[in-house]
Formats: sequence, C-alpha cells, structure tokens
Amino acid sequence: MFYLAWRNLSQSRTQFLLGVGGVALALLLMLALDALLAGSEEDLVAYIEQSNADIFVAQEGVKNMHMAASAITLRDMRLAEHNPEVVSASPILYTTSVVKAGDSDVLSYIIGFDPDEPLGGPEEVVAGTAVVHSDEVIIDDAVARSQNLVLGDEVEIMGHTFTVVGLTRGLTNIVNSISFISLRDFQKLRPGDAVSYALLDVAPGANLAQVAAAINGRNPDVLALPTAAFSREERQIIKDMSVEILNIMNLSGFLIGLAVTALTLYTGTLRKRQEYGVLKAIGARNRHLYSVVAVQAALSLVLGFVAAIGLVWLLGQVVPLLVPGMGLALTQTGVTRVLVSALLIGVAAALTPAWQLARLDPAQVFRS
Amino acid sequence: MDVLMQVEHVTRHFGSGRTEVVAVDDVSLSAAPGEVVLIMGPSGSGKTTLLSMLGGLLQPSSGRIRIGDDDLTQLDESRLPDVRLRHIGFVFQDFNLLSALSSLDNVALVGRLNGLSRKEARQRAGELLEQLGLGHRLTFLPEKLSGGEKQRVAIARALVNKPDIILADEPTANLDSHHGHETMRLLRRIAKEEQRSVIIVSHDQRIKDIADRILWLEDGAFKNAVEMATDPVCGMSVDKDSAPAQVKWQGQTFYFCARGCRDEFLAAPATFMPGQAN
Repeated sequence: MFYLAWRNLSQSRTQFLLGVGGVALALLLMLALDALLAGSEEDLVAYIEQSNADIFVAQEGVKNMHMAASAITLRDMRLAEHNPEVVSASPILYTTSVVKAGDSDVLSYIIGFDPDEPLGGPEEVVAGTAVVHSDEVIIDDAVARSQNLVLGDEVEIMGHTFTVVGLTRGLTNIVNSISFISLRDFQKLRPGDAVSYALLDVAPGANLAQVAAAINGRNPDVLALPTAAFSREERQIIKDMSVEILNIMNLSGFLIGLAVTALTLYTGTLRKRQEYGVLKAIGARNRHLYSVVAVQAALSLVLGFVAAIGLVWLLGQVVPLLVPGMGLALTQTGVTRVLVSALLIGVAAALTPAWQLARLDPAQVFRS
Repeated sequence: MDVLMQVEHVTRHFGSGRTEVVAVDDVSLSAAPGEVVLIMGPSGSGKTTLLSMLGGLLQPSSGRIRIGDDDLTQLDESRLPDVRLRHIGFVFQDFNLLSALSSLDNVALVGRLNGLSRKEARQRAGELLEQLGLGHRLTFLPEKLSGGEKQRVAIARALVNKPDIILADEPTANLDSHHGHETMRLLRRIAKEEQRSVIIVSHDQRIKDIADRILWLEDGAFKNAVEMATDPVCGMSVDKDSAPAQVKWQGQTFYFCARGCRDEFLAAPATFMPGQAN
C-alpha cells in the first residue's frame, strides 16, 4: 500500500510538485518566521553572550539591555566587586542613539567601555583594533558594508565625530547594531557619575547563582544576574514582543497547509475513486484504503517539511547578504512546533478522503 | 459433479411499496469446476445486480449464495472482503487496472492484499503474466498496453490468489473481435485446465461458442436456458438440445457439432478423453 500511495502521489508530476510545494510553502511560512525571530534573538543577545562576563549587574529591576535603561553608581559596582568570588568588575555605559554616516542614520546601541578593563569591549574584531582611544569608534561590519564605510572613515555619534578604527561581526540585529566608544568619550558626551552595567568576572568554579544572590543580598539597589539568566531575560523580550505575530503567522501557515494538503488528498482520492472501488471489490478492506490516504498525507507533509527546512536554510544563507543584520536560526522548538502542526494537518486533511472511501460502494465497479 | 457456486432462489428488490423494483427474481444456478457459464440478457434485465450478488458485493433480499462452504448471505459484512479476495477473481469490462502501477504491480498488489510477501506476490504475478504472454510487458503502465493486453493483465490479477470462481463482467465489450475471442479462449482454457468456474455476463453474441452453458436473463429471471457442451473432437461449443450428433460412452454423453466429429470420436474415443490420450 505504501508503494501504491507513492505511485498515486507521484503519478502526475505537476500535481505532485504543486501539492508538495504548497505544503512546503505553508510550512515555510511558519518555519521562516520562527527562524527569523530565533535569529533575531541570537543577534540581540550576541553582545551579552560574547562578553565573557559571568555576571551582569544592573539597576534594581532591570533584567536586560534591549529597550532598557540602567544606572548604577560606581559605589554599587565596587560593592559587587568586593565579593570574594569576584575577580574583576568592568563598567559599561549604554544608550540608544544613531550612527550618522553621511546622510544616513543607523540606529545603534552605543556602548562605552574602558579599554583598560578586561570586559565590556568587543570580543572579536574582523578588521582594525579592539581597543579604542579618544574619538575612535568600533562599528559592526554589517553597518560598514551597508553604509560603505571603511577603517579611517568618520561617523557622527551623539553630535561628536569619531573615526572608525575597528569592525566587529555579528553585532547587528534586525532593529539596530552595537557600536563601541571609550568610556571616557561616553562620559564626556553624557556627563554623570553612574554607569549602566557592571560586567563581573568570577573566579573559576564559583557558583554564579550564589555569587549573584550574595551581591543582591548585600545591595538592594542592584540586580545581579548570571549571564545565562540575563541572556534568557533578553530573549524573553523578543518572545513577548513577537508572540502575537508568531501565533497569527503560525495559524495562517497551518490553515494554508491544511487547505493545500486537504485539497490535494481530496482531489487525488476523487480522481482515483473508481480504482479504490475496484480495490474494494477485489477484497481490499477500508483499512487498506485508509492506509493509502494516510501514507499519501504523510509523504506530502514529510516531503513538504523537508523542502521547507531546505528553503529556510537557503534563506538563512541569502537573507543576511541582502539584509545586513537579519539572520535566520532554526530552533528545536520551532522545528518541533511545525512538525506537530504538519502532523495535525495530515490527520485533519485525511479525514474527508477517508470518509469518502468508507462510503464507497464496491458494487459501483459493475456500473461503469 | 462438485459445485463451486450454488445460487438458490435468490431475489433482490430495491425500494418498497409502490416504488419497489424487483431486479432479480427467484434465480437459481450452480457452477461446477471447469465450467464456463454465460449469462446473457437485454439491458435492465438484472445482470449487473445478479453479478454483484454473486461477487458478494450486494446482499440478496432473499435466497442463498454459497461458495464452497461459505454462505455469502449469512456471512458478516466484515468477512465478505476476505471471501472476495480468496475465492473470487473479478474481470471487468473496463479492465479497471490501477493506472499508477505497472502490469506486474497491478497483479502483485492483489497477492499482497491476501497476505503474500512482496517477493512471493511479485514472483507469482510475474509467472502468471509470463503464462499469459505478457512477460515483455511487466514494467509497462496500463496506458502503454493495448486493450487485449490490459484484459490479460486483469485476468492475471483475477487469478493471482487462485480463486475457485472467476466472475467476468462484459469482458469483451471494449475489445475488438480478435482480442475478444482471444480473451474468451483464455478464460475457457483457465476454466478447463485449472478446474475453476467461470461465470460471464455479456451481451456479446460472438462468444456464445466458448460457453458450456448459456443462461438468458430477462426481467430478473432466467428464461429458456440453453445448455452447451464442448465437442471433444474439434473443441467447438454446441447446444446440447440441437447438437447434430451425440454419443454415450463410459456412462457419459458427448455432443458433436457434426457427424464427422462423432465418427472420428468413435474411431478412438480414448484419444479425446482428458488425461487418457497417448
């Protein structure tokens, strides 16, 4: 019956491609959006996860960086640094601004870091230097490409001119990018005693959760979170922001997939009605015929699913080249969700043809 | 004589009250091993309804239909597919091959339904198709076959589970005269050599000569049944009632198309007896 199902499905190449293609596009709709958001999550937490910090210390109540403002005093930072397990505390200043390059404005998080401190600056540069001096900036390679900037070019940040001295990679996301200037320059542009965050380096083997809890216990004005937890909170922002649109797209994809699969199976069964009647007359049981429909549904969906995965992978290669800062990342959760959707589509789509077959009168074969 | 199929007083009506239609009315017949029964009759005479009941596809309103030890009218609906699969081979007017499968797979599929392994089913299907002269067409899709070839594939499909009875619905309707005769001779050969009962429903007057018995169905009932016999010398079918010559030999009556055949038979009767020829 598997072979018959396969042969029935692939007998008309055009119909087969349309059926599988339709399913693939419907699943792609779900999978690509999920991958896009997952990619955005990855991009958004790239700085946090590449920072090599063990613990992020922020103002009490602030659990992330995206769309957040945090201010802690130097005293707060030193207090955290005094924890016996903490090796060092590196301050950063952080704000949302634009990088002006000629007539273009590129939205960017500006991070001011102290090059003499172990943490806070870019961990990896693909060109130039990772160390900034006065009036120097490190921007992301994607921004440089989109604005045709090279090392030595000048950009304007917060009304001040900086020379591009280094390029990072992977620090541009769907909404903006990250640019690094020196802490001192930042303080000149935004005078004040506070810093935004302190990045802690903790002694190897120490329990990060316990260290963070000890810092929080000693100083109620700050919130210390291990980097993994801080990153998780950052990801949650994206999830919270995208959950509605994701649900709508998932529902759209589900309904389109269901319509395409159901229509393919229904018309396929209708077209083969006489043949199924013959099989029934010869002695095939309903379960044999159901299995043909079930296998056809499964094959359509599996092939559509594989094609959708392939297309998402392809998009993942092409999109970042076309749209700097936009990446796609397949996640296990996203793939599982689409797989479950595909399963539900298969079951729902096979119901009508199964009902058709159950009602099929085998005696019709003598009434041709 | 053994009987493979026994039909007793079968009636089938549709509707009720003033709209009731009696499609088959108190029909009885039997089919013996090796016998070819031809059921003829005008359109609307009840042939299709009768054939559907014989094939276990439609239950009679009354009467009994037995195939071997199975009474189709008493069997639970869920057991009928098994009876059809194991005991009945169907040959259809439009061949009704599965268009997506090759000749070999069309035949093998029915073996698979009956529980044969893929290898066994394909082997048996291949052997049957070889026997029917289609060894060079095993991988061909139905659309690439001629009408005669399609009907031979359909016959192979009907035979793959070694059924006791073959039911053929207008098997020559879509074939030209040559292929029609070829198909009928094949069905007759199968009946005789493999001792199966072949019941054919047809309008085709040209195939009367291959039947052992012709039944005329009209208004749902058999009328003026003609019993046919095969001339043992030339192989032609002859009407028992109007045969030009007949001979009793070793307790059996033989019918001949002409006196010449009778004389030839009398000269050496054993030569014309199945299994006794030298």
